[in-house]
Amino acid sequence: MGKYVFKRIYQLIIVFFLFLVTSYVLFDSIPGNAFQNLLLNPELPPEAYEQVIKLYGLDKPLSERVILYIGNFFQGDFGYSYKHYPRTPIELIAERLPRTLMLFAMVNIVAFYTGFLIGKILAWRRGSKSETWITVTSVFSYTIFYPWFALMMLWFFGYKLDWLPIGKFLYPEKWYDAPYDSDVIFVSMIKFTAVVSVLQILVYIFTRNIESLNLRRNARFAGFIVLTIASLFYWNSGDLAIQKPYAMDIAYHMILPIFTVTVVAFAGTALLTRTTMMEVMKDDFILTARAKGLSQRRIRDRHAARNALLPVVTSFIFTIVTIIDGSVLTETIFSWPGMGQLILQAVLEEDIPVAMASFSFIGIFALIAHFIADISYAYLDPRIRIQSQG
Amino acid sequence: MSNQKDIAKKIRREALKKNWRLFRRSKLGMIGLYIVIFFLFLSILQPILFITGVWNKGTYDPVVGYSEQFQEFLVVECPKEYPTEKYKDRSDCPGRTEVNIRTLFYSDAQVGETIIQNLQPAPPSRKHILGTDSLGRDVFSQIMEGSQVAFVLGLLSATLGVGISTILGTIAAFFGGKIDAYLMRQSDLILMLPTLPLLFIISAFAELQVWHLAVVLGTIGGLGGSVITIKSQALQVKVKPFVDSARITGGSRMNILFSHVLPNVAPLALLFMVFSVTGAIASESVLSFLGLLNIDMSWGLMIYLAQVEGFIFSGMKFWWLILPAGLSVTFLTGGFYLVGRGLDEVFNPRLRDR
Repeated sequence: MGKYVFKRIYQLIIVFFLFLVTSYVLFDSIPGNAFQNLLLNPELPPEAYEQVIKLYGLDKPLSERVILYIGNFFQGDFGYSYKHYPRTPIELIAERLPRTLMLFAMVNIVAFYTGFLIGKILAWRRGSKSETWITVTSVFSYTIFYPWFALMMLWFFGYKLDWLPIGKFLYPEKWYDAPYDSDVIFVSMIKFTAVVSVLQILVYIFTRNIESLNLRRNARFAGFIVLTIASLFYWNSGDLAIQKPYAMDIAYHMILPIFTVTVVAFAGTALLTRTTMMEVMKDDFILTARAKGLSQRRIRDRHAARNALLPVVTSFIFTIVTIIDGSVLTETIFSWPGMGQLILQAVLEEDIPVAMASFSFIGIFALIAHFIADISYAYLDPRIRIQSQG
Repeated sequence: MSNQKDIAKKIRREALKKNWRLFRRSKLGMIGLYIVIFFLFLSILQPILFITGVWNKGTYDPVVGYSEQFQEFLVVECPKEYPTEKYKDRSDCPGRTEVNIRTLFYSDAQVGETIIQNLQPAPPSRKHILGTDSLGRDVFSQIMEGSQVAFVLGLLSATLGVGISTILGTIAAFFGGKIDAYLMRQSDLILMLPTLPLLFIISAFAELQVWHLAVVLGTIGGLGGSVITIKSQALQVKVKPFVDSARITGGSRMNILFSHVLPNVAPLALLFMVFSVTGAIASESVLSFLGLLNIDMSWGLMIYLAQVEGFIFSGMKFWWLILPAGLSVTFLTGGFYLVGRGLDEVFNPRLRDR
């Protein structure tokens, strides 16, 4: 096993190196460069353009630049952004990443929970007419043409009903005399959400072993009420009472994107749960549970659903990896200033340091996830282990 | 010898019949199949209509066709304050048969007079079942053209991608060792690149047409995650007793690979193919929605045009420009997905109802 892990890490480093080279060459192959619009300015002499190109080292041949970049990369130097000059890519990512993670973490948690609940019920009611129609509906909400759907939602809730804002992160007019930076408030929102989610999960874990299903549900509901009241007190106390209206403004802008993405995302989990649960329901222990005379709900929730959870959780972990990739479209349509927009702008404007830094960030994220998945599969399935040792 | 062949043929036909019976039992699969057949019918109907002369190419061509629709308009002046007696809010003025005097640059008509003017985009009529777009092109014909593009692109890229991933996955599972390690790391590399930005980069330095896009999507899909899934399936087949007995009776490696392992991986590959059609059609629509492709007409492009011309935020007033294209993408991808679910029930006995 140790040898296998060592071998995998060694391969991982080579793959990452290749990844860096591939992405740099890809960015470089886009025609033009980041400073070409200087040529369009009639007040600047052509020498100014040459000067800038020389300053950023873009006049060197490609191979030399790739080697220089990778050398600097492994020394922890990511350079400066071409478009936001004095700022480094790391600063930009540190500013943008929390916004994306907050939005999509909420979406994924809501989608996973509702999807699992619906999928469970669908599999249980197999063959009935309602099951067919709900499944067909969730298939269409899974395959719906996303940008079109998002625009329709913006039109309906933002323009026609005028309930929610049309995109953006906040209303600038509300923030003219704000005592805090929006990032400060956003960070305190993230902290709050994280603590509340952890507490909620703890409530779930502690109530998991209560035998009576009704008592368990009531205990969970009571926990939820207590948390809500506690968070109300928290936001009205001291310093946070001043932050509250601004936090509310950001939260108000988050409702529509979260709702839209959840409608699309929950269906994927629901369909996967339905399939795995149908497979589990063919197993012998379900028959045994039936023969023991357990109630239908207990068999569904305790025996079938828990065993169907494993593949669903695995796919959930892999969804987390694709968050940043998937955020590009959502953030463009809802003008949400997160990682997706940063990557898109960096790619379109050929801001190579920023694009490289964000690509490698995604790459490291994906590599680690695949590595963990591979190792755990190898641990669980001896065939793969023997294969790889060759 | 010929007798043996006949028996083999008969067995194959029986198996096909049995699978069809199983597929028909799944309601979801049948709903999906009907949807796919409907769009297939639409895409075949358009050339037939052109060849038989029912549709005139000049009027109904999805890209260069033009149809005149003259109508009388009442010249009005839109009020500055809303609501008034006639109009509830800003989007009601000018109404469908009215024209705002402020947007009338080429005529000397006064408020209250009627003028005859070309009406584009025209609402649905007997001549144009789904109306026309702002350039006077028939929307129904565009939908048909879009479904041709979707079928060509989806099937081409799915076939290519699944072909690549099946062969590579089986090879990785069968030979193992260095080849396996290389192929797995290659698919790691492809999975690490974020898809949408990658497609942006490719479309920046290459003029993508339907063909090229199909090849690009097929290759990215074929080298990526599906190799890993197919490989794990092939590993399960490889340890089955019939592979061992084939090896003992002296089958060569190639023989075992192609006549024992590959046919047993094929059902999963077919399933993958159906699901990747969904992905390919969605990717094409997203890229043409963002205006990055060099395609004459597609569903994504129709929504792109409706958006850049500002019809999407006009709500349901111009519904024929917004709804048909978006719903077509949704329904065709959903149809393929449902067919995939139905096939899943055929190939996976544990999913069957009894």
